[in-house]
Amino acid sequence: MTNWNTPQWPRAIIHIDGDAFFASCEQALHPEYRGKPVITGKERGIVAAASYEAKAFGITRGVPLWEVKNRCPEAIIVPSDYESYSLFSKRMFAIMRRFTSAVEEYSIDEAFADLTGLARPLGMGYVEIARMMQKTITQELGISVSVGIATTKVLAKLGSKYRKPNGLTAMPNDERREYLEATPVEKIWGIGPKTAAYCSKLGIKTALAFANQSSALVAQRFIKPHVALWQELNGQSVLTIETEEKTTYQSIGKTKTFSPVSSDPIFLHAQLLKNIENACIKARRHRLVASRLIVYLKTQDFRTRAIEGVLSRASAYPQDLLRVADQLFRETYEPQTMYRATGVVLTHLGPDTRVQTSLFEPPIRLEKLEQVYAAVDLLAEKFGKHTVHLLGSNVAHRAPQHARERAELPLRKQYRLKGESTRKHLSIPVLAQTLR
Amino acid sequence: MGRKKRQKPRNASTELRRFYTEHQRMPSYREAATLFRYRSPNAITYWVNRWTTTGIVRRDRTGRLLPGPALAPIRLLGNVQAGFPSPAEEEHIDTLSLDDWLVGNREASFMLKVSGDSMVDAGIQPGDYVLIDRGRTPKKGDIVIAEVDNEWTMKFFEKRGNRIVLRAANRRYPTIVPHQELKIAGVVTSVIRKYK
Repeated sequence: MTNWNTPQWPRAIIHIDGDAFFASCEQALHPEYRGKPVITGKERGIVAAASYEAKAFGITRGVPLWEVKNRCPEAIIVPSDYESYSLFSKRMFAIMRRFTSAVEEYSIDEAFADLTGLARPLGMGYVEIARMMQKTITQELGISVSVGIATTKVLAKLGSKYRKPNGLTAMPNDERREYLEATPVEKIWGIGPKTAAYCSKLGIKTALAFANQSSALVAQRFIKPHVALWQELNGQSVLTIETEEKTTYQSIGKTKTFSPVSSDPIFLHAQLLKNIENACIKARRHRLVASRLIVYLKTQDFRTRAIEGVLSRASAYPQDLLRVADQLFRETYEPQTMYRATGVVLTHLGPDTRVQTSLFEPPIRLEKLEQVYAAVDLLAEKFGKHTVHLLGSNVAHRAPQHARERAELPLRKQYRLKGESTRKHLSIPVLAQTLR
Repeated sequence: MGRKKRQKPRNASTELRRFYTEHQRMPSYREAATLFRYRSPNAITYWVNRWTTTGIVRRDRTGRLLPGPALAPIRLLGNVQAGFPSPAEEEHIDTLSLDDWLVGNREASFMLKVSGDSMVDAGIQPGDYVLIDRGRTPKKGDIVIAEVDNEWTMKFFEKRGNRIVLRAANRRYPTIVPHQELKIAGVVTSVIRKYK
């Protein structure tokens, strides 16, 4: 019999993680891809997701596609179909919500849920609930997911990574130890390479070693988020399940790869402007303004040069960012170099209160910009993103982002069903094969 | 223990109606006690129970009094008891959107385009779209999408003896008797033919 409400499960947190999510979605949409190495990210020139069959060839995320073709000539390489992936993602969360409303959508392919107290009403143990969620997702969506169920978020996340693909790892209070012992400290969610190196200096190699440090030492040597990790690893749940949609951001970044590579400053500048316009759109949507921005260029051989600049006034209007961005671009750009991507990150974001005008700013200009962008956003809503854009980014908007085989569009962008427009598609995944 | 005869409140409906008209609400127990000249609110409880069964009053979730249907004709706030009854109110039924009706289990539904004519006799033509439910277990007589030789095919799911067979709705197609494990991708729940 299942033991409900034992000290084994003071809380029950589940973490569900899609296995090679994008590649799994492709396999669900194309039955002929099942059991075969599938790679997504054709448009980017590097692997975005690799199916487990492809991983067997040593192919991981970020590997250039020419290398994929060398290692595994039979690999099926497809352009990313974010529209369909996002439908699968929403469905995965919806299935989890059949069991509990306390679901946190952590990313497109990951979610947490709080199952505490549900064992009795659902008439099964927490592990069985977890197994049922996993089974339902696999059956209804045709993708596989890995599941961790534990007493805290950090432990649950550790569990979902522990056995993959299609794994289920349950960590009641008294079984925590062995999992922590087998986990190197850098594999803990929230511990970066710097902290891992610091831990290693302190002689902390495993998650268990970290968890076994005294609270005094942890409080003294580590920053607050890491203290929270330490608590969570010790079974003390301090991180809450965030069910609200995320509307606050630390930073907003936009980057886009293009092909072929280019050293043309006008083209590169246009690409950068397009990213700035995109970042500003997102900032305005969340009523945020940035006071700093980082501009970066990525070279053909994947080196990145980035420079940060300060704005004279916090803003989310491309015009306000232009002068600083141009200057940063001139400092970053080297004429003889071939580039593959540009990017921008807006940082030091704050709420848009529209008061901090600089001393020398004629407020008339600001008011005009406000009116212009209110109209621009309205037009975008009606006729599509970038209906009105800066002249400087025109080249980037007009030319296709990619050339040759990389220009291939995902299937769902190649056709329209009756009644669909280019901007409005049916909210149901359309399987790729036609029926005979 | 002799049973004490309870003094019946006089003109209960009229008094309650008057109170309601004046205050735009029903009395509390204490107010009702005062209204009917009882010393304690406890005493009124018996009558409230009686009124509940006769439909003069109702109680809300917290136990407070609400006007009952038998207290009419008073105008109920936020209700349509006055005037002609609305036919919509009479037909107390929930509606289903076309979307919900066609799709059913949202998360498990997928769409497929039909290109062949193997199901024409069942009314499914090339160019039609079918909605399939991946979560259902196929039953005899269902139209299913099955995986045969790495290709998907739409057929009737039927049984001969205890073998499963896949039958086309077109004489020109042979009935398939799967020899290996049969993979069913889903059960067809709707067929959509959109003209405009």
